[in-house]
Amino acid sequence: MPLNLEPVQSRFRPTTSYEEAFADELEAIYGRGVHDLPGVVAALNETGVRPADGAEWTEESFTREIARLGARED
Amino acid sequence: MTNSLHTEDGLLTLGVRDRWYALCPSRQVRPGELTRIDRAGEELLLWRDSSGVVHVQEDRCPHRAARLSLGVHMGDRIACNYHGVQLDGDGVVASVPGSPGCALEGRKALRTFPAREHAGAIFAWFGADEDAEPAPLRVPEPISGGDWDDFLCYVEWDCSYLLSVDNLMDPMHGAFLHRNSHTMFSGKREAVFQIRDTDTGFVFEKTDQRGVNFDWSEWVDTGGLQSVTLDIPYPATAGPGGPFTIVACVTAINEHQHAGFFWRCRKVRGWERDSWRFLYKNRLEARHWQVLEQDRAMAEAMPADAWARENLYQHDIALVRLRRMLRAEAKRQAASRAERRPARAAAR
Repeated sequence: MPLNLEPVQSRFRPTTSYEEAFADELEAIYGRGVHDLPGVVAALNETGVRPADGAEWTEESFTREIARLGARED
Repeated sequence: MTNSLHTEDGLLTLGVRDRWYALCPSRQVRPGELTRIDRAGEELLLWRDSSGVVHVQEDRCPHRAARLSLGVHMGDRIACNYHGVQLDGDGVVASVPGSPGCALEGRKALRTFPAREHAGAIFAWFGADEDAEPAPLRVPEPISGGDWDDFLCYVEWDCSYLLSVDNLMDPMHGAFLHRNSHTMFSGKREAVFQIRDTDTGFVFEKTDQRGVNFDWSEWVDTGGLQSVTLDIPYPATAGPGGPFTIVACVTAINEHQHAGFFWRCRKVRGWERDSWRFLYKNRLEARHWQVLEQDRAMAEAMPADAWARENLYQHDIALVRLRRMLRAEAKRQAASRAERRPARAAAR
């Protein structure tokens, strides 16, 4: 019986370049020890990653966007 | 195939009875399809009825033993493709089209395993007595929902499930095999361990380090489901939320292959949960996978007679204890089965 090994099981489509950049920025910010919401939003605004409308991040727009990006896909 | 389930060795290498076993991810059984898998020494057919409820049955037509998985899905029942015998989700013969009214009709003739779905996986109860009621399916807290969130990682490995159990109850390999990973790069490379009893099993833990590497494992047997729980710290890059917890269940496919279920869990809510989920999908899953592949490479390459020639030391006391517990249960079940069988033969 052939054995089943699937490296990617949490999503069902390739990541986008936007998601790649966003993940890089978040990891860098978290890696500096910034783990609080106001701090993360302020740090994101210093980077080049912006939401689709190009606006500055707010706590509300960040939590909305991260909920969308982190949604369960199954 | 099932003959070996009569013996102590068979029960040990295929999994003791009177337990729930995780079978496969829920998504593997699609509506309208008949799915064949082998688990814990049984040849199984899985299908969903028209309301989506999953049924786990022996893949063997009660008429002439043809494979029901080659049959036809009929919504609330299935039909064998050989002579059209129809069976419902309880294993009752609903119709014998070739011989209407025959004695087989209306009989519960197909072994049906009580089944549940939880945390993205299908579980079934493998009773020693197939007619007895199952124990309740109680799952460890991290995959019970609430404040916890989880992702299931499912794998199939070309080695006995017992080697995976060994691996899970051996925290010390983290500091060596996984020393270059994103999670297990720090901490001491020597340790003294202790065993601490719990209501449902035992914890095997380092006495002088916690929260730095893979520092403890817990064997949990709720009387229904066997699992291992352990914690592994995340680096700061994983964001807020503390370490992640793995709840692991392993199920034999056969004597030398097994299915592994690794729920990666974190106690996080709100935006912190969403952030973890986003990073898991985009970064962490791939890194966790690399770690698991290191375990797989090691486990699959182990000699078949690994247990026959070992020189164990203090870090292996959890393995010794667990192997003894599993063998004792297998021995007890084999003896109990041997006692029941003559009685059954006499009853016929």
